[in-house]
Amino acid sequence: MRWTLDDPQNGLTTSKGDPEEVALRHNVVMGRLEKLVAWGRKNSMWPYNFGLSCCYVEMATALTPPHDIARFGSEVIRATPREADVIVISGTVFAKMAPVVRRLYEQMMEPRWVISMGSCANSGGMYDIYSVVQGVDRFLPVDVYVPGCPPRPEALIEGLLLLRQAIGTERRPLSWVLGDQRTYRGPLPSQRERKRKTRSQVTELRPTDRA
Amino acid sequence: MREAGTVERPAESEIPEDLGRELAEIGFAAQRTADGIPTLWVEREDLPRVMGRLKTGIARPYPVLYDLTAIDERLRRHRNGQPASDFTVVYQLLSPQRDQDLRLKVALRGDDLALPSVRDIYRNADWYEREAWDLFGIRFPGHPHLKRILLPPTWEGHPLRKDHPARATELPEYSLSDDRQDREQEALRFRPEEWGMERAHEDTDFLFLNLGPNHPATHGVLRVIVQLDGEEIIDAVPEIGFHHRGAEKMGERQTWHSYIPYTDRVDYLGGVMNNLPYVLTVEKLAGIKVPARVEVIRVMLCELFRIASHLVFFGTMVQDLGQMSPVFYAFSDRQRVYDIIEAICGFRMHPAWFRIGGLADDLPEGWQRLVRDLLDYLPPRLNEYERICLRNRIFQRRTRHVGAYTTAEALEWGTTGPGLRATGMAWDLRKARPYSGYDQFEFDIPVGARGDCYDRTLVRLEEMRQSLRIVEQCLENMPLGEHKARHPLTTPPMKSYTMHDIETLIHHFVEVGWGPVIPPGEACTAIEATKGINSYYLTSDGGNMSYRTRIRTPSFPHLQMIPAISRGHTVSDLVAILGSIDFIMADVDR
Repeated sequence: MRWTLDDPQNGLTTSKGDPEEVALRHNVVMGRLEKLVAWGRKNSMWPYNFGLSCCYVEMATALTPPHDIARFGSEVIRATPREADVIVISGTVFAKMAPVVRRLYEQMMEPRWVISMGSCANSGGMYDIYSVVQGVDRFLPVDVYVPGCPPRPEALIEGLLLLRQAIGTERRPLSWVLGDQRTYRGPLPSQRERKRKTRSQVTELRPTDRA
Repeated sequence: MREAGTVERPAESEIPEDLGRELAEIGFAAQRTADGIPTLWVEREDLPRVMGRLKTGIARPYPVLYDLTAIDERLRRHRNGQPASDFTVVYQLLSPQRDQDLRLKVALRGDDLALPSVRDIYRNADWYEREAWDLFGIRFPGHPHLKRILLPPTWEGHPLRKDHPARATELPEYSLSDDRQDREQEALRFRPEEWGMERAHEDTDFLFLNLGPNHPATHGVLRVIVQLDGEEIIDAVPEIGFHHRGAEKMGERQTWHSYIPYTDRVDYLGGVMNNLPYVLTVEKLAGIKVPARVEVIRVMLCELFRIASHLVFFGTMVQDLGQMSPVFYAFSDRQRVYDIIEAICGFRMHPAWFRIGGLADDLPEGWQRLVRDLLDYLPPRLNEYERICLRNRIFQRRTRHVGAYTTAEALEWGTTGPGLRATGMAWDLRKARPYSGYDQFEFDIPVGARGDCYDRTLVRLEEMRQSLRIVEQCLENMPLGEHKARHPLTTPPMKSYTMHDIETLIHHFVEVGWGPVIPPGEACTAIEATKGINSYYLTSDGGNMSYRTRIRTPSFPHLQMIPAISRGHTVSDLVAILGSIDFIMADVDR
């Protein structure tokens, strides 16, 4: 898929050349349909308005101006699971809540993604206690795990961007009668492995006695 | 500022003379506790009579049932002459008129775990008794709906009993098969008959509307089932427990020190404000006096968190009522508060920065500038919010005379904090029973008049201004000194005291690795938290962990009030009522 944008500072840079070709370039996008669909999906991941506990406050913070998740097309929170693309399990998964969480997930339409936000949803975290399910992946397929207790809004945005990248390379059948019926998921490599090298090279930490 | 060492270990108090006379014919045994709250043991047959008399039959009565809980005493070693008991049910009453608490204890033996319900005397005993049934298996004959409240209806066992495992990893691994999913969903089905509700009445068929447990207006995992006649709310049943994180059981397996981070997550918008009642109580049991600098830093951080919490309340409240922009302003301002908190504590929401006997660290260099910036920035913003939100006529129409209650009703339900002050009663523990040096600060207690949703919003807005006043006084009068008390139980000890000889090294090592051993005893400390009165009632059995941790949170009684204050209103009013209560589900279910 080829497409270009005009630079607002320098006027219509793409308008040079053969007028017919320019008109074509301005009005027609050429590409493979499945890539176009993936491009649309990755730029409009609408989250479900769903929260469990403390992490939800940081998720809500990510929507507000200082962090502004709208930059990545995810500010359109939906109040019904049927209109949402991604559910952020933001908080502790309680034994009493787990059947409800699963029900809500089942009501989401395919394609759907799950971000597990925070230590509790990832593994139970601090709460190895009778009333807490030790990780939402006990009963839901998780795409991205965001660590933290709670993760900063920036961490959630990073998780969202990684998912966005993966969705951009995802391929799904376009119709139930046409072509290959399998789903090819994008890679979601471990960030700990990827960042280990630069992290282990850090020798100076931020001092705590100065603001 | 006062001199160092302001938290005195209170004198073990006696039973008030007039009470002793009043109750002499009924009979009781007195117990001494470290917090000075008069504690009486009564026989269970006498309980309703004693409670009835304390509530209405004496001069300067106790109109508030502040807390009701239980202790599994079966493994406790240091009982110091208390009456024999396997399970003790504890009632804590409050008299604002006397400015005094009173604790009543009832001993239960063997398998006979039942005592009369006091739901008819104190209305808010309803949920507390259900909680005691759910977590301890204590029955209250006479209670009409003695069902589980915090755990799922399908749950087996009573988790706060000492013989129930604490960890999820000690229980069978969790899995959610399709069968189990159906079973659990079926168990959550609402049946009006179980709550004594009619499906139809004369010429009306009632509609039962289910809100939650995931709904944008419930501010967390709360479920409210509303019985409707057209638009009008006939009755409502709040269902809680979707956020039960076992915080009380957790206290029985974490050391005194390592439990601090769990307190942060109780009222998760209150941050270090939650640490305060906990560390104050442990300090009371240990007899630690903290330096004045510690007190003032604690007060400053608590007030910053109060502002942050009220900003979230304010933004979400007006958003629920249809104004889209203020929530963005409020969260942006909250970010500025968090910038200070992060610079001081190194963390945003749950810093866990207070320590037994002090603070994790001293204030960083340059903190004054950050605080000064906020003090300059926020007041004009608050004025603007008042102008664009509270003076907005739509907002006023939707909140005035909605969800109103009187001071007497508030006390009946155990309501505290801004929800009580909005009714006109100026009861604020920071003034009434100053802790952590609050008596050294100048501030006013904002009060409302009508006790409706509008007044509750107004009171909180004004409280932010008062908090700014307190923060400013902290900034201008920050005492010099150490950030930890010189006491052997201060945890962890000051690093500069540790590296001298083998003794100091071992002390540090044991205290950090194994945790401090707190002397046996019982104590409770209440503070004016963001949502109302929050207290920790700790029982030490002379170990490195608490024997019983009771967290009395303000949101629990506030939610219990929902049916009483929403009858006769419409569903859209219910949204205003829920928003104006300002609850946090973690603060309800713990």
